[in-house]
Amino acid sequence: MVAPPDIATAAVEEAAAREDYFTYIEGVGHIPRDIYKHVKSDPAGDLPRYSTHIVIQHILVSTTFLVLAATGLSLFFADVFWAPYVIKLFGGADTARYVHRVAAAIMIFAAVYHILTLVAGTTKKVMNNEFDYRRTQIPRLKDLHDLIHDIKYFLGLEPFRPKMEKFCYKQKLHYLAIIWGTIVLVSAGLALLYPDVVSKTIPEAIFKISPGAATGGAFPTFFQDLARLMHADEAVMALIVIALWHLANVHIVPGRFPFQWTFLTGRITREHQIEEHFWEYIRNLEEIPEEKEYMRNLLREKGFEVSEPMDTTLSRQTPEPGSAEESTPEKEEN
Amino acid sequence: MARLRDLNSLKIIGTISTFFVLICVLLSISSYARAADEDNCLMCHKYRFLGRIDENGNRINYNVDPRIFNDTVHRTIACRECHNYIKKIPHDPVTEQVNCGTLCHVITPFSKERFSHQHIIEIYNSSVHAPKPDDSPKQKEAKPGCKFCHLNPIYSLPKHNIPYDVSLRRCLNCHQQKGVTQAYKHITHRIRRKTSRSSQEIVALCAKCHADKELMERFKVSQEALTAVETYKRSIHGESVTLGSQETADCISCHASNKLHDIYKKDDRRATIFSKNINKTCQQCHEQTNRWFVEIAVHPRSEGAGNPIVYFISISLRFALYGTVFGLVGLMLLETYGRKRKGIKFLLRHGTSWRGKATPEKSKQKIQKNNN
Ligand code: HEC
Ligand code: HEC
Ligand code: HEC
Ligand code: HEC
Ligand code: HEC
Ligand code: HEC
Ligand code: HEC
Repeated sequence: MVAPPDIATAAVEEAAAREDYFTYIEGVGHIPRDIYKHVKSDPAGDLPRYSTHIVIQHILVSTTFLVLAATGLSLFFADVFWAPYVIKLFGGADTARYVHRVAAAIMIFAAVYHILTLVAGTTKKVMNNEFDYRRTQIPRLKDLHDLIHDIKYFLGLEPFRPKMEKFCYKQKLHYLAIIWGTIVLVSAGLALLYPDVVSKTIPEAIFKISPGAATGGAFPTFFQDLARLMHADEAVMALIVIALWHLANVHIVPGRFPFQWTFLTGRITREHQIEEHFWEYIRNLEEIPEEKEYMRNLLREKGFEVSEPMDTTLSRQTPEPGSAEESTPEKEEN
Repeated sequence: MARLRDLNSLKIIGTISTFFVLICVLLSISSYARAADEDNCLMCHKYRFLGRIDENGNRINYNVDPRIFNDTVHRTIACRECHNYIKKIPHDPVTEQVNCGTLCHVITPFSKERFSHQHIIEIYNSSVHAPKPDDSPKQKEAKPGCKFCHLNPIYSLPKHNIPYDVSLRRCLNCHQQKGVTQAYKHITHRIRRKTSRSSQEIVALCAKCHADKELMERFKVSQEALTAVETYKRSIHGESVTLGSQETADCISCHASNKLHDIYKKDDRRATIFSKNINKTCQQCHEQTNRWFVEIAVHPRSEGAGNPIVYFISISLRFALYGTVFGLVGLMLLETYGRKRKGIKFLLRHGTSWRGKATPEKSKQKIQKNNN
């Protein structure tokens, strides 16, 4: 109904010719790239994405972010008409200043909690030999490649979206931005909260490294000016990005509307997983027997080839052949 | 920063100072000391070791330190007004106790009567703490008398602000309503704050002239002096005060001492902002001032002026902001356009957002053909 069918088939043909339309999974079958158009999805999520820790951290960060933005920006835009009303909501200027600090402390706690989760989780995975950097937020060259191909797809130059990992390019970008933003906001915020301490620490530290450098009086003023600028600008930027992009991107774009529950349930819909995080879905298939079965049935129902050994029985007990585990997801059938 | 602010062109009209009520509190009568020792009791009692050991072996100290006594609420009362059982000196061994209900020489200014705590004693007598006739001696012992609770001077500054009506009610413990309200207002707001006006009123007052460039240009004033109000309002001190903070610095906090009128140019040795005095000025609120801290511009310069690096960073941040926002939002719109073209719908209905599903049915055969 959207693209003329003949173009679609031509594209699919071309893709099949390039041998990446199907992904063969032992015990499931040949999974077409666009199978997400046929799967059933539960709005609350079908497949695991975030642990409870991450969900808690997201709740902490998002609520404190709103409080910080409301109190901080109305202080920054003190002479704009709405600022006094917002400040009144928080109990007046002097109370709002303390509210801002408490919220900041909770957000810093959430950041530390996040780092601890990451360190502990990664250590555990490394110990169990399960660590796979492709499933993490670590940026790779592939992300750039994915971005280019995704744009091509959006422009209609390619038939399918690139096969992406658990975190795709835009999520990694956002994550990096959050790391940067948190560092800037926390350090600049400390300079605003303890100007007396920070103004002393920085010149003294510089003095230790290179005596003579910090004798000029401009240093503290420079750093304070910088802190004032960075704290406000970074906060405004964060708010605009969250309000205009993040919220729309996760809750408003097609397929996510009216609400994506992942941030509360920690689970992602099947459709979304296959479309945007194809390789992660393949890993889900390997890890979750029920999902394997679901996909096999779906493939059979839609008339695709299914894997031979399990053709007749749906029993879950059938052990996986050892060699099948080793097979890479990229292994194509031909 | 200034430009960002311009994003929002609507400005406050009118003043916000009406949101805030000045809460005056505080009970303290400034310390004036008057010798209470008309009877020369201290001649003996000033000796630190004046005392004795009683029948039970307890050491009793009869020393009265004049310095301490002169700081107590009772410093203006003569010894014998309380110890009125002492009629001659040297006195006999004391067998009586001081009665807090004794009338003293002090005439209360409003009701012109001799002062006593009789009124409080009456209330106390009706309270649970007063010994009752049918109390056993043990019970009587367990109840607090005036002296049990009042070992400390009560007119120390309270840590937390007490609302006006609550503290005024306390004056009525000793005074009549008539006159005391006036006195209360007269005293308390001076004790509580450097200025009786709110910070907002102070800024408005100074701004009347100092924000008026035309007026200020009649004098040979520096550029900083010309823009002082504008820059102050851009600082965190100024922004908090604009929103009604009572804790941050207004013009008087920094430009005048408690004398309030000693405002000078910054190179005047008497000025609070003179380089030698500024440490003390900031210390009113920032405890750990140091030589670097006091150099921070509290009238922040406009961007660029004198700080090219900060200016450069500010410009780059602006580029980053627009770049990110337009980049991300643009990509999102493109993404939505591309996906909608491929058949996605906004709502997840019947377990899928994809309508049409044209591809596989048709392509299946082709693919199977290919595979063969
Ligand atoms: C000549 C020195 C002298 C002078 C003057 C003097 N006192 Fe004493 N006072 C004493 C001595 C000595 C004692 C201890 C008496 C005893 O333990 O028997 C004492 C004890 C007391 C006690 C404690 C009684 C008790 O047992 O609790 C009081 C109260 C007292 N004096 C009040 C006064 C007052 C009020 C004045 C001034 C009007 C005064 N004294 C002047 C020497 C003096
Ligand atoms: C406001 C009333 C008041 C005034 C004024 C006052 N006293 Fe007392 N004084 C007391 C009370 C109450 C006690 C506790 C003993 C009692 O209840 O009799 C006491 C106790 C004492 C004691 C005995 C201390 C003890 O441990 O038992 C001495 C000595 C004494 N006063 C000396 C003085 C001297 C000297 C002055 C003048 C500088 C003075 N007092 C002024 C109320 C007063
Ligand atoms: C249960 C302890 C207690 C007893 C007993 C007691 N008071 Fe008080 N009194 C207080 C307290 C608490 C305050 C408030 C002090 C403060 O705020 O610092 C006070 C305040 C006062 C004040 C000052 C009033 C004001 O508003 O500033 C006077 C005068 C006073 N008491 C006299 C007496 C007298 C006279 C007696 C004996 C009849 C007595 N008190 C018994 C606890 C007691
Ligand atoms: C403990 C009882 C007591 C309380 C409570 C009290 N006063 Fe007084 N006040 C007095 C006495 C007694 C005097 C007279 C003192 C003197 O002449 O040395 C006085 C004097 C004054 C005077 C001086 C008037 C003059 O003409 O000399 C003022 C003003 C005053 N009080 C105001 C207040 C206010 C305001 C409060 C409440 C915050 C208050 N007082 C609470 C007992 C009290
Ligand atoms: C009636 C108008 C007016 C008001 C109100 C006023 N000022 Fe001024 N102020 C002036 C003028 C005019 C000068 C310049 C005097 C000169 O340079 O000879 C001045 C100078 C100053 C200076 C020295 C500036 C320099 O030239 O270096 C300071 C600091 C200052 N005022 C602070 C204050 C503060 C703080 C307030 C509020 C409490 C205030 N002024 C209220 C008119 C006013
Ligand atoms: C936090 C303390 C602080 C506050 C609040 C403050 N100032 Fe200042 N002000 C200073 C200091 C410090 C200087 C000296 C600046 C410099 O050395 O460049 C100064 C400089 C000035 C000057 C120029 C003085 C000169 O001699 O060049 C004027 C005028 C002035 N302030 C007016 C005001 C007015 C009006 C307000 C209130 C709207 C105000 N200030 C609020 C600390 C303060
Ligand atoms: C009347 C109290 C008061 C005085 C006096 C005062 N400050 Fe402040 N200052 C504050 C408060 C309150 C804050 C806000 C702290 C917060 O909310 O985190 C603040 C914040 C600051 C900050 C951090 C925010 C910013 O603008 O970067 C600096 C720097 C600062 N003051 C410098 C000074 C200097 C320098 C002086 C002396 C010329 C001074 N202050 C005098 C109360 C005061």
